[in-house]
Amino acid sequence: MNYNFSFPYIWGATPDLLDGLWMTLLISLLSIAISVVIGVVGAGLRVFQVPILSQLVAAYVNFIRSTPLLVQIFFIFFGLAEFGIRLGGFWSGILALSLWGGAYNTENVRGGLSAVDKGQREAAYSLGLRPLHYLRHVALPIGLRVSIPAMLNTAVSVLKNSSYLQAIGVAELTFVAMNRVATDFRTLEMFLAIGAMYLAIVLVLSAAVRRLEAVLQKPFRTA
Amino acid sequence: MSETQSTQTGHASAIRVEGLNKWFGSFQVLFDINLTVENGERVVICGPSGSGKSTLIRCINALEDHQQGVIEVEGKALGHDSTSVYDVRTEVGMVFQHFNLFPHLTILENCILAPTVVRKTPRKEAEATAMHFLEKVKIPEQANKYPIQLSGGQQQRVAIARSLCMRPRVMLFDEPTSALDPEMIKEVLDTMVALAGEGMTMVCVTHEMGFARKVANRVVFMDAGAIVEVNSPDAFFTNPQNERTQAFLNQVLQH
Repeated sequence: MNYNFSFPYIWGATPDLLDGLWMTLLISLLSIAISVVIGVVGAGLRVFQVPILSQLVAAYVNFIRSTPLLVQIFFIFFGLAEFGIRLGGFWSGILALSLWGGAYNTENVRGGLSAVDKGQREAAYSLGLRPLHYLRHVALPIGLRVSIPAMLNTAVSVLKNSSYLQAIGVAELTFVAMNRVATDFRTLEMFLAIGAMYLAIVLVLSAAVRRLEAVLQKPFRTA
Repeated sequence: MSETQSTQTGHASAIRVEGLNKWFGSFQVLFDINLTVENGERVVICGPSGSGKSTLIRCINALEDHQQGVIEVEGKALGHDSTSVYDVRTEVGMVFQHFNLFPHLTILENCILAPTVVRKTPRKEAEATAMHFLEKVKIPEQANKYPIQLSGGQQQRVAIARSLCMRPRVMLFDEPTSALDPEMIKEVLDTMVALAGEGMTMVCVTHEMGFARKVANRVVFMDAGAIVEVNSPDAFFTNPQNERTQAFLNQVLQH
């Protein structure tokens, strides 16, 4: 085996890779944000057992968790096109990742909400708060604190799973690397480079979430 | 005092419960409860555990629903629709055995949450009201601490202040001292006595017989989901009418 590892090659590819990285970040952050919203709404519907909607959310979560993400991506990109809904790679990707992350976040947030002591709800209601007031001002601030580690896991998975979108031609990080490998055969260089990039952004994301967790945790520590 | 026809004379009773029956599933927990509490009256409900005391007062602010009978607070009937539930809840404050302060909010924030969110009171005004009641329960210096930093007795006094910030017409107490160390019971009871002295209408589920003797206008004794005896504190403690009451008092007054 005689492979000439070339750092200059990585250097030369960097502008391309940064374009891909930008696309990865854009899609991931949007999808993570939407998946958090879906998670909060879905968990709220589940916890308050809203008729019909609660069952729909349960079915959605089951469906997403029981099918491969790649199949979901193909379904949205190719399948919906059959019905005349052509979202294009970018929006198909965001839709697929948001729905995927949203299903997991529904369960993550639901877990956190059910960890809130029922006395909190009784106190809130006895003070005249409506269910949505209770959710917004009491249950979520307490429950999300419990959910955050699981939600961070989901966010990291969304970010990493954005590499699947290369299969539908979205010019994200993995797609860019694969493209260059196909023409220049610099396999090691490219995959090492994008591996390092994924690692770096996941570390930054984790650090940011830990900060958030510390803020939410503050009242629960005795001074 | 027990002017049951007050509705006709223009002002409604604080609480009117009539023919109340309640089931948990197929198990009946309250049997034909009739109880009227007038404005400014202090009623203590006692009885053995499982007798339905807590369930009864939890029905009054709809933390439990009821299947039969009428519940009215300040003349407003408690229906099964959410509007009447919210109407009644804003008139009724409740203090719980386990305080149930919101752990993620400071003492002051605990007190202003409901006024600002439900009553839309401006924050400054809500804070002034909160400080007023925190001073009343003798705890204003803790306003910026979190619940976990306070003792049980302090937390319960905050819970009382938090309820008062909504300016309720009626206060319900569900065993407010049962989770407290003996030393902290007194500070909470003192707060409740002071509140009674200001004319607050109060319904207290409690085992504090000294408190009942001191502030109650009437003592209600419950057993097995029914009201067994209603009496003035003097008569209740010295000359209980019902056999079951006598047996209960023998147990609790022994030490």
